[in-house]
Amino acid sequence: MILPLAPSVHEPADVLGGKAHGLITMMRLGLPVPAGFVVAVPAGAAFLRDGTMPSGLEAARDALGAEAVSVRSGAAVSMPGMMSTLLDVRGPITTAVSDVFASWNTPRARIYRVLHDIPHDLGTAVVIQRMVYGERGGSGVAFSRDPTTGAPQPYGDVLFGHRGDTVVSGRTATLPVTALKEREPTAWEALVAALAVLEAHYRDACHVEFTVEAGRLWLLQVRPGGLTARAAVRVAVDLADEGLIDRREAVRRISPHRLRAAATPRMLGGDIVARGRGASPGVATGRVARTADRAVRMAADGPVILVRPETSPSDLHGLAAATGILTARGGLASHAAVVARSLGRPAVVGAADLLGPANLLRAADVRDPADLLGAADVRGAADVRGAADVRGAADVRGAADVRGAADLLGPAAPREGTLITIDGSSGEVALGNPGLTPAVADTHLHRLLGWADDISGDRSPRTGEERLTAAREKL
Amino acid sequence: MSEVLHTLRCMGFAELSRIADAAALTGAETESELIDLAVDGLVTRQMGAWGPTDAGRAEDTRRTAAELDAAGARGAVDAAYGKFLTLNPELLDLCSAWQLRPVDGVPVPNDHHDTAYDARVLSLFGELDQRAEVVCAHLAAALPRFARYRERLGAALDRARAGALEELADSLTSYHVVWFQLHEDLLVTLGRPRG
Repeated sequence: MILPLAPSVHEPADVLGGKAHGLITMMRLGLPVPAGFVVAVPAGAAFLRDGTMPSGLEAARDALGAEAVSVRSGAAVSMPGMMSTLLDVRGPITTAVSDVFASWNTPRARIYRVLHDIPHDLGTAVVIQRMVYGERGGSGVAFSRDPTTGAPQPYGDVLFGHRGDTVVSGRTATLPVTALKEREPTAWEALVAALAVLEAHYRDACHVEFTVEAGRLWLLQVRPGGLTARAAVRVAVDLADEGLIDRREAVRRISPHRLRAAATPRMLGGDIVARGRGASPGVATGRVARTADRAVRMAADGPVILVRPETSPSDLHGLAAATGILTARGGLASHAAVVARSLGRPAVVGAADLLGPANLLRAADVRDPADLLGAADVRGAADVRGAADVRGAADVRGAADVRGAADLLGPAAPREGTLITIDGSSGEVALGNPGLTPAVADTHLHRLLGWADDISGDRSPRTGEERLTAAREKL
Repeated sequence: MSEVLHTLRCMGFAELSRIADAAALTGAETESELIDLAVDGLVTRQMGAWGPTDAGRAEDTRRTAAELDAAGARGAVDAAYGKFLTLNPELLDLCSAWQLRPVDGVPVPNDHHDTAYDARVLSLFGELDQRAEVVCAHLAAALPRFARYRERLGAALDRARAGALEELADSLTSYHVVWFQLHEDLLVTLGRPRG
């Protein structure tokens, strides 16, 4: 069950796995993909059944003629960040492949599958490719359109002089992907062209992982979608305007659930000072309090946004007193995120911009690895909090007692008392109060619902969800 | 070692009833001890809630370290802490899964109308709790005061199973809150800063 990554391979995604299927699709579209092969899903399933490894693995690796390779998981069903990736493998790869096969059964991966109705016996494919070195250029993630707003420009992150695992781990501060234009103009042009080709093929917004090696662009993964609900509405309408899909398809793509999410009030643009991940939806405006105690005291005089590196149980009184919560570290399953949702408070987590440069490393170490609910594609080791704690053991005992939270936040963090607004859907943080954009002001949403009425033939006044549901029943 | 001071240290600010429950004491006993601690400047009361002072935190650090060394339990607590850390990301995943449900690939607040989904999450909580029980048993064998966490975690899960949906991740007596106090207690006991 070893197949080359080649345009001539036509097996479906449930055999090749999603990653290899995407790579072969890109090869067929003439896009640059490092040479490699895939150990297909049935081989992963066989390994789970009785531990057998496919024959011909080392021969295929030798035939690749590459000094070093990457060994990455790639199941038929997307399980972002739940399984292993091994980069820069030299010599035999059998152990690396069996490690990736076995990573199908980590406890977190099992939880993910139960929650998403994915059978436990499927197993994963493994993709082996010639290693491309971001150290000799850069690596990044690029969306064909802004995943938050749907605006039709490439959007993403790039990190010069590093490989891709550094980008997705968040260990080092990234630059906007547009920085490629200056630093790697040839690769930038190739990337923009590739994103357009992929959109035309998938008839949807796409995102890719890429590496630039010695001026040359390589694509390492592609996935369609990955947009917030509001962005998905705009992209569906724009794609219909561009003729890539028809209006019926645009209406088909937005489920009533997505419509409801898109209708959540959002912050207007404003002066954005930080970006994190929206962890509890809603918009909150208030004055910055940088400790839980201050939040409780300040809340008597008006709404407060509690700003913390991260939160712990000893912040609970501050979390309860605050109107909104902003943390520099942590992901959608962090303590702050869980508590904010339980209290119904808007929250933005993992806004690493709030930390000083010296703290970026620490921020990354405690960032939550993967988004269990699949809303984003951030990955990392399973036990990151543990890693940070082990390092912390070297610190002076009791340092946590006397070290205030504020000094962990960098100069970029807003000062106490500053009025800020956080958007718990988009993850944006703005100075002052930029105001709200109600869903009814969204012209894209209006047009989509108009198309829905054209399909249903019903123009009576109803809620947006009812209009959409009526149209989708006719489709 | 003051059980009440240490409990409060791991809880942050809390009302009397929550402190008493966590420390497994009566309200009267707890209040009496809190007043003694307040006289010594180790705890303070603000807007109806009790919390440790800086001096109280420092004193608890000293007493907890002395207790750990006297019991010769550092190795055992350290080992149990390592096991706790492997369970921690799973617990956080499950709390998120309880609060947000993927619908068409989009996380939406869990309205708990999908009983099959809730049953799956609750069952995963049960599996995790069984593994947590082993860790708690090791901790209680090393330092008996850790036994209270087992009781509180088990009680929260029982309440959730009996239909109190907020007792997993969304109340002040929830599994998540008790779990995080246990996490804090382990950090304090081992003298490790968070993050």
